[in-house]
Amino acid sequence: MKRRKELKKASPYIFISPWIIGFIVFTAGPLILSLIMSFYDWPVTSEATFTGLGNYVKMFTEDAQFWKSLKLTLKYAAIFVPLNLGIALFLAMLITQPVRGVKIYRTIFYIPAVISSVATAIIWGWILNGDYGVLNYLLSLIGIEGPNWLVDPAWALMAIVLTSAFGVGTMMLIFYTDIKNIPIDLYEAASLDGANSVKQFFSITLPIITPTILFNVITSIINAFQQLTLVMLLTGGGPLKSTYFYGMYTYDNAFKHHKLGYASANAWVMFVIILILTAFIFRSSSAWVFYEAEVKGQKTGKRRKNK
Amino acid sequence: MKRKIGLLLVLTLTMVTVLSACGGSGGNSDSGGKTKVRFASWDNAEDLDSQQELVDKFNVSQDEIEVTLEAYGDDYDTKISAGMGSGDAPDVMYMWNYPSYYEALEPLDSYIENEGAEYKDNFYEALWAYNQIDEDIYGIPVGFTTHALFYNKDIFAEAGVTEPTDDWTWDDLQAAAKTISEKIEGVTGFSYQLQADPYDFEMYLWSNNTAYVDEAGNVADNLNSAESVEAFSVFQNIQKEGAAITTEGGGTDEFRSGKTAMYIYGAWSVSTLDGDGVNYGIVDIPAFADSGREAVSILSSSGLAMSKDSKNKEAAWEFIKYWTGEEMNKERIGYELSALKSVVESEGVMEDEKSAPFYSMLEQSTGYTPASFLVDDWGSLADDLELALERINNPTTLEDPQTVLDEVAGAH
Repeated sequence: MKRRKELKKASPYIFISPWIIGFIVFTAGPLILSLIMSFYDWPVTSEATFTGLGNYVKMFTEDAQFWKSLKLTLKYAAIFVPLNLGIALFLAMLITQPVRGVKIYRTIFYIPAVISSVATAIIWGWILNGDYGVLNYLLSLIGIEGPNWLVDPAWALMAIVLTSAFGVGTMMLIFYTDIKNIPIDLYEAASLDGANSVKQFFSITLPIITPTILFNVITSIINAFQQLTLVMLLTGGGPLKSTYFYGMYTYDNAFKHHKLGYASANAWVMFVIILILTAFIFRSSSAWVFYEAEVKGQKTGKRRKNK
Repeated sequence: MKRKIGLLLVLTLTMVTVLSACGGSGGNSDSGGKTKVRFASWDNAEDLDSQQELVDKFNVSQDEIEVTLEAYGDDYDTKISAGMGSGDAPDVMYMWNYPSYYEALEPLDSYIENEGAEYKDNFYEALWAYNQIDEDIYGIPVGFTTHALFYNKDIFAEAGVTEPTDDWTWDDLQAAAKTISEKIEGVTGFSYQLQADPYDFEMYLWSNNTAYVDEAGNVADNLNSAESVEAFSVFQNIQKEGAAITTEGGGTDEFRSGKTAMYIYGAWSVSTLDGDGVNYGIVDIPAFADSGREAVSILSSSGLAMSKDSKNKEAAWEFIKYWTGEEMNKERIGYELSALKSVVESEGVMEDEKSAPFYSMLEQSTGYTPASFLVDDWGSLADDLELALERINNPTTLEDPQTVLDEVAGAH
């Protein structure tokens, strides 16, 4: 009878043990190992030597490429995140309209997000080709001579932004479900008061979906900073290193230059940067994110905008 | 009672899931007493299929060793690095980047000596320099190719230009390329790779009596010497005249489809071009008019190396001997050039007009050591050289070679 009680207590842990073991072996363990590795000079083919903070110091003071790649990735994130959000929101608004065949449009808009990044890179490699690509052909029809997207260092970054906007479907769907959940009487009340659809959008829709915007901003930023597959497959970091993102830089350090310790340090620096940015956004969120539940629960000014 | 059974079921299920996940790759246990040898290759598609057939042939021919072919494809370097890092590299592997990997490879001098002097002499001497670090040999040459100039006979005939010869200089090539580009719509005279491998590109410097570094490994005054600048400029000049395009790959695709009339490449495309039925010829790479010498070619040589951590070194050596032996060399004719003198003689490879130019380039190219073997930090120099080549040859930038090379030399 005590046995039964013990088993009862232990059973939850037994249930989650596969996940815990998986987490430790595949996530937590390697995470800690990579932290340890970042304190070593760890070439692939010979012995690892302890260097303490040497890797980090070298990264910040001696390595010019570190700063270049970081700046480039920040630039990319700064362009990509607002653009992605804007497009996702716009498309989400489109598919909430009561238009005939809206379900088909929903599917069409979502399909690109399902395609694997390898296939996306190959497709866009063909579309963006300077001489035979479809994009330049379409541009030529309206009289614009398209640049050589993947060869011209001035345009390669925009090419990557364009291609990564392809995966906007997931965010669009999240926005869509959130917008659909807004009670319709809010809109009715507003139109009774004489608000047109633009005013309705900015005064009703946007404030209510701010929690979703917060979520999407954070996931977008994390994805933008970690962008690797597209860059590796579409431009390889070129031309002339104009798309040599931080992820590519870390990968090359690890597998091309065989500096595993240094690459681990790179990865941890990126982790810290993303952590700080995310924390910062969360902090600022109290100023612009509107939680319905909190308003209903409390009367005090926690939800009031900063005066 | 029910609860107990239910809990037991859950427990069993959990255990099974966990253990099956761990089960996966592991046991190197011998099946039936055969020694297992793992062999990694970087080939794809049809080449890989033919390699698998040859490996099967080996396994069938004897009872002691079983070889498994591991196809690493384009991720070859990543997978090999990962294997070496975890002490789990394959027993036998294709190798060409000795400076980066030699510390994890087994020196093979003692094995070679045991085979007797004839064994070593049968390989072309030039190849050993590409498979050793300092005095230790780390790989047995599998095959090699030099580079030569491919040209499309039909296009030359159509444009009314005389075909290239072994005595051509770069000026001749530029003139011919220009004429062809002007006369025939949609065809460019010459193509070369945009993101050229700096390792390969050094051959043009050698052809002009210079190199990336001197014997001591100094970059200054070698990389940015006047001769070197000339070598880098020659391609840019042809492009500026509108007589050359840069290609993403080696240039075979453009050549096969008749978009270009000439390109420089190794023997890898011979069977592809034959299969397509392209009417092409091969001659030596043009010389630099002022260099006073014939052109030199890099040796793209691949070797078979053994892992230092291999548990079955004797068996691995047996397989290496087989793969680099006469029989295998004969099988690979048409894709690579044979590294064995005996095979070249017996198969009359020198008489074949498609292979002879490569061997003549080989004769002109002995005695050169690539900078990757002379410089400690080849990785970072190669990176800068790659960027420099891009800056010079990218159609939208076309930077001045002297400025770019001075910059690179200054940084090293």
